[in-house]
Amino acid sequence: MLKKILGLGVVLAIAGAGTGWVLSASTPLPAEVLSSLPEGDAARGEAMFWAGGCTSCHSAPGAEGEDKLKLGGGLKLVSPFGTFVAPNISSDAQDGIGGWSAASFANAMMTGTGPHGENLYPAFPFTSYSRMDIQDVTDLFAFMKTLPAVAGKAPDHELGFPFNIRRGLGLWKLVNMSSGPVVKEPAAGADVDMDVWNRGRYLVEGPGHCGECHTPRNPIGGLDYSAWLSGADAPTGEGKIPGLDPASELGSWSVPDIAYYLESGFTPEYDSVGGEMVEVQANMAKLPASDREAIAVYLKALPAAAK
Amino acid sequence: MKKFVAAALCVCLTASAAFAAGDAITTRKTIMDSVAAAAGLGGGMMKGEIAYTPAAGKAAIMSMAAASHSFGAFFPEGSEAGDTTAAPAIWSDAAGFEAALAKFAAASDAAVQASGKDGPADVDAFKAAFGPIMANCKSCHETFRVKK
Ligand code: HEC
Ligand code: HEC
Ligand code: HEC
Repeated sequence: MLKKILGLGVVLAIAGAGTGWVLSASTPLPAEVLSSLPEGDAARGEAMFWAGGCTSCHSAPGAEGEDKLKLGGGLKLVSPFGTFVAPNISSDAQDGIGGWSAASFANAMMTGTGPHGENLYPAFPFTSYSRMDIQDVTDLFAFMKTLPAVAGKAPDHELGFPFNIRRGLGLWKLVNMSSGPVVKEPAAGADVDMDVWNRGRYLVEGPGHCGECHTPRNPIGGLDYSAWLSGADAPTGEGKIPGLDPASELGSWSVPDIAYYLESGFTPEYDSVGGEMVEVQANMAKLPASDREAIAVYLKALPAAAK
Repeated sequence: MKKFVAAALCVCLTASAAFAAGDAITTRKTIMDSVAAAAGLGGGMMKGEIAYTPAAGKAAIMSMAAASHSFGAFFPEGSEAGDTTAAPAIWSDAAGFEAALAKFAAASDAAVQASGKDGPADVDAFKAAFGPIMANCKSCHETFRVKK
């Protein structure tokens, strides 16, 4: 914990130095991408909304049913760097993102850059969303415009110095962000349907942001890709999040076992899903069965992590 | 004879009240393991992985009913510590736990009613009866269980 803070402190100190000031600026999407954004389709965007789990953080804590579509924010996310509060991203023009352009939204999702060029904090998992297809992002934006407007801003984050300086995050992003796929395609001749596997990789590494919880972090809070999905300490500091690679307990589950867990919340022993995975599972249950199966196929084909 | 059974039951109940905390924990976990086994049988038949028979359907339902009526008796004061995932809320929100147990028992009793003498006739009838029982697991665990 102390190491983590020192680590980030060093990064921020460097960021404060002359060259760092340039490096720490935010890097939005290229102009040619932003000027030719595809038209969004709200109906298709709904699947991305559930796959991305936006409601788990941005709806009121404990929301059920229709209330899950009210994205007024307010959930507190405790981290070693301080407490983040999920903002209002409802369609409210004043307090939410109703006044945003599709370009601003795409920049936030894929580069962690706010509408005024400011860096966003990676407590918002854009580090994974950056792997999404631009079409899926504009579809998602179109869907979110159909959701209710919620008035009222969420409270500010509770962060001490130096973490309250957004500028410093530019360098963090340079070091910790990658928009390419994490796991290489299995060698030719592997016993998997490549279309299904690719869909699974996309969902897990991109919108599903499974790695944000199931992968350990380096001292400055970035994901340790060399130990991809091998399990991690819970961000709150209490307990462990299980690994999903073949060396973990999941190695003994079959593809239908994993797909059924994501659908129903039951493990093969018929114990029920717990902890933070409860919300994730409820979102996964809303996806088409083929998507849950694709996720299971990808997880079963994971290489053993070099821990 | 009936009286004798009743007397024996009474002895059981008093004995259970006097259980050491450790025994209560072992007993209630065994009850939940039998619930999970019944869920596995019922779930397997609903998914079509195990061939459905009315007798097996009835067995799964009756295990749930037995568990739902007995489970609540094994949470004496002092049994919150030890090798258990029971949450402190069971004791601090006793009324809430009672309500969750009652919901579990009501769903099981309705299934027993619906299954008749020989068990639900086909897998669709079984799904209609068993599904509502299965809806109880996660909601109770979310509130009344902690991670080890
Ligand atoms: C793990 C929790 C979490 C999840 C899941 C999450 N967000 Fe966020 N989001 C946050 C936090 C925290 C912030 C604030 C970041 C900051 O202030 O820099 C945020 C900020 C944002 C912003 C910028 C808002 C602003 O006013 O600057 C947008 C847009 C956004 N999220 C959209 C989404 C969408 C769309 C999804 C689903 C695909 C999503 N978020 C999922 C936690 C989350
Ligand atoms: C917010 C954090 C979080 C995210 C995001 C998350 N998980 Fe989990 N996951 C958990 C926790 C915590 C558990 C342990 C659940 C329990 O104790 O019952 C878990 C358990 C699991 C398990 C069961 C593993 C076992 O051995 O019991 C699977 C499978 C799983 N997650 C898959 C996924 C997939 C696929 C995704 C992405 C779509 C995902 N998770 C995203 C936190 C998360
Ligand atoms: C009224 C509340 C309640 C309901 C309903 C309930 N459970 Fe449980 N369950 C518990 C509690 C409390 C524990 C923790 C017991 C302990 O560790 O002392 C538990 C533990 C378990 C365990 C772990 C047992 C062990 O050996 O540690 C399994 C498996 C389980 N439940 C399955 C189920 C299934 C399947 C259902 C639905 C058919 C279900 N439960 C319904 C309260 C409930």
